[in-house]
Amino acid sequence: MAGAFDFVPAIAALPLLAFVISLFFGQYMPKRGAEAGIIATAGSLFLSIWTALTVAGITGSATSYNENLYTWVVGQDAGAVTLHLGVLVDPLAALMLVIVSLIALLVHVFSLGYMNDEGETGLPRYYAGLGLFTASMLAFVFSNNLLMAFMFFEMVGLCSYLLIGFWFRDDGPPSAAKKAFLVTRFGDYFFLIGVVGVFATFGTGLFAPIGGSEMASFPQLAEQALNDGAGAAGVDTFGYDAQTWFTILGLLVLGGVVGKSAQFPLHTWLPDAMEGPTPVSALIHAATMVAAGVYLVARMYGFYLLSPTALAVIALVGGFTALFAATMGVVKQELKQVLAYSTISQYGYMMLALGTGGYVAAVFHLTTHAVFKALLFLGAGSVIIAMHHNENMWDMGGLKEKMPVTYWTFLSGSLALAGIVPFAGFWSKDEVLFEALIHGFGTSGALGTVYLLAYAMGLLAVFFTGFYTFRMVYLTFHGDARSETARDPEPVRWNVKGPLAVLGIGAATVGLINMKPVAVLTGAEIDFLHKWVHGPDEGGWPAALSTDLVHYEELLHDAANVSASYPVGGEQTTLLVSAALSLGLAVGGVLFARSLYNAADPVEHTDKLGGAKTLLMHNYYQDEYQVWLAQGVTVPIARAADKFDQGVVDGVVNGVSSVSLFTGSRMRRIQSGVVTNYAALMTLSLVLLLLAFVVVGGGV
Amino acid sequence: MAIVTEYYLLLSAAVFCIGVYGILTRRNALVFLMSVELMLNAANINLVAFSFHHGNLTGQVFSLFTMAIAAAEVAVGIGIILVLYRNFQDVDVTKAATMRW
Repeated sequence: MAGAFDFVPAIAALPLLAFVISLFFGQYMPKRGAEAGIIATAGSLFLSIWTALTVAGITGSATSYNENLYTWVVGQDAGAVTLHLGVLVDPLAALMLVIVSLIALLVHVFSLGYMNDEGETGLPRYYAGLGLFTASMLAFVFSNNLLMAFMFFEMVGLCSYLLIGFWFRDDGPPSAAKKAFLVTRFGDYFFLIGVVGVFATFGTGLFAPIGGSEMASFPQLAEQALNDGAGAAGVDTFGYDAQTWFTILGLLVLGGVVGKSAQFPLHTWLPDAMEGPTPVSALIHAATMVAAGVYLVARMYGFYLLSPTALAVIALVGGFTALFAATMGVVKQELKQVLAYSTISQYGYMMLALGTGGYVAAVFHLTTHAVFKALLFLGAGSVIIAMHHNENMWDMGGLKEKMPVTYWTFLSGSLALAGIVPFAGFWSKDEVLFEALIHGFGTSGALGTVYLLAYAMGLLAVFFTGFYTFRMVYLTFHGDARSETARDPEPVRWNVKGPLAVLGIGAATVGLINMKPVAVLTGAEIDFLHKWVHGPDEGGWPAALSTDLVHYEELLHDAANVSASYPVGGEQTTLLVSAALSLGLAVGGVLFARSLYNAADPVEHTDKLGGAKTLLMHNYYQDEYQVWLAQGVTVPIARAADKFDQGVVDGVVNGVSSVSLFTGSRMRRIQSGVVTNYAALMTLSLVLLLLAFVVVGGGV
Repeated sequence: MAIVTEYYLLLSAAVFCIGVYGILTRRNALVFLMSVELMLNAANINLVAFSFHHGNLTGQVFSLFTMAIAAAEVAVGIGIILVLYRNFQDVDVTKAATMRW
């Protein structure tokens, strides 16, 4: 009987079909192609849930799936690389499939309200883009090797470009689209080198082994190389020490992650990407595509765990980005800009968690963030519809009474983002910080210090998160209406409210899947996500894939020398202190925002920041410095290279041709057209030749 | 008694030189053609003479082929001269001087 795993490729194939249908037949459909997308993503969601249930063992015994389905390059010689397209379904992939297809479905429905009801043109192109994006992202999630992941990673980037630039007739969107494309491509350049490096080193790009030890995965081979020497594992480390080389490879792949997940210093594209339609922002730049980077790290976590240096870099980049982006979110005036910076900041937390060995925490935050950030963006979209596409928060105010559904769901998302108990963000962010704290104290040497530093930055960012989130809520929904449109907002329909309601409930409850503090305190076995990633106790399927939590924890302890210790008393006390600290800071931020902005007619307080305001308003001059890098450094170098190319390389070629042209123009004068002259020349030449033979001797 | 081979070679060289001289000095296309024939036949004489000298018939057979080819060449040559005459009302080879760069 065909099981769920036989239909996994269809999860991605359905939206791909929707892409084709929307593109070619969209204009003949009443909703301009939305139907195809909604049906396809609903199908994907159904298949994803079925897959997840199969992995969980609810429909039978727990199982997993990892097969090569299609071989597109066959390596003939010994040691040649064979390239496959394949499917890997383990708890992580199954969870992500459900998240992506759920958000995609809701965004398609929301688009009916945001795009169709607003009378936008070019909708078939829009829905085609959404379909292709969903297909690529889902295929990326179930990729079983690094190259396939890379290909769909790029497809996702392409769709992002197409959708950001959807309103290509305006000035902003095409420029933002180009920026997003170029910045992420810069990161992907390193990723590509990393992929080639992994294939050259290990001869395989598999994330998880197929059929036990028959086809080993590259994290496995790397582990073996570290334990038994590179030769024993059949790994070529190009003259480097194995550990050093794996660090280099890991950091190269990390380049793509930093670009796609908008981490410092390649985060600059994401705020600009808000030029795209809001549902696109929700789907791509908050909930799913940006998650691709973090997901990739989680996917090949067994490889990163072998390199403490790479882990330290991930933790530091994550912690720094979390704080850095949060401070910029504080001064923004546009609704979507605040959300954009909060997105960057929240992905910083996930990187922080991965870097500090909090695998479950990262996956957990990925899940909760997908729900509450999609919610916040869709809520923002609803506000934008109501405000006739004016996004400035200083023109809003008082929308609470006019749009109650949007307000309450947005509030649910904001509480989750700020990390207020018991909303989703609290549980996940608290776990991220807790893991960073205990691993920071338990690890000796520089790595522990880095962890504590990253933890401190992450903790500080909690305050800013609470502050900017509620500054946004108060400015948008509370106080008096500050403009004509805010006094009489345009009503939104069911297709906007429906997705908001689903996600609003989700943002309030999705944290309940892993209430670790409660689980530790009461001893109740309610950390479901932990169990889900952990798998059955007897080993079984996750051990066969070596992507299970047990294996990762062993590696974390043995290879990266990271261990946990509890600075304040035992586990329970530390947990309570950590939770109280982050909750206290979050509430502090919220109250501070309340004191400043919860007024009938709030005023700007940003001027009190003095010079810092200018710095923050200009995003720490990150754009300026990157533009300077491009214009002040790259352009002169390119110009010099161009000069060399034009002058020397082309000069030689052109010189040869002009010399022959010149001699040709002179030589052709002996062609008089008179036959007698030719005959004379021939005779003369023959005579000369004969004379030469006589002189030289002819016998040579 | 047999004639010594050197005489044949002298004859052939003389005929060839007459042919070359004709090509270099004359302007009439027909004379051109005749001169070319002379040069060809000088080569033929050589072939036959050496064939005789070495007691080998290959050279003589070869010269038969050469004569056949010379006949064909003359046919083409006369055709060209006819066209030349039709276009220039003359068979002066220096008049047709435009077939160049």
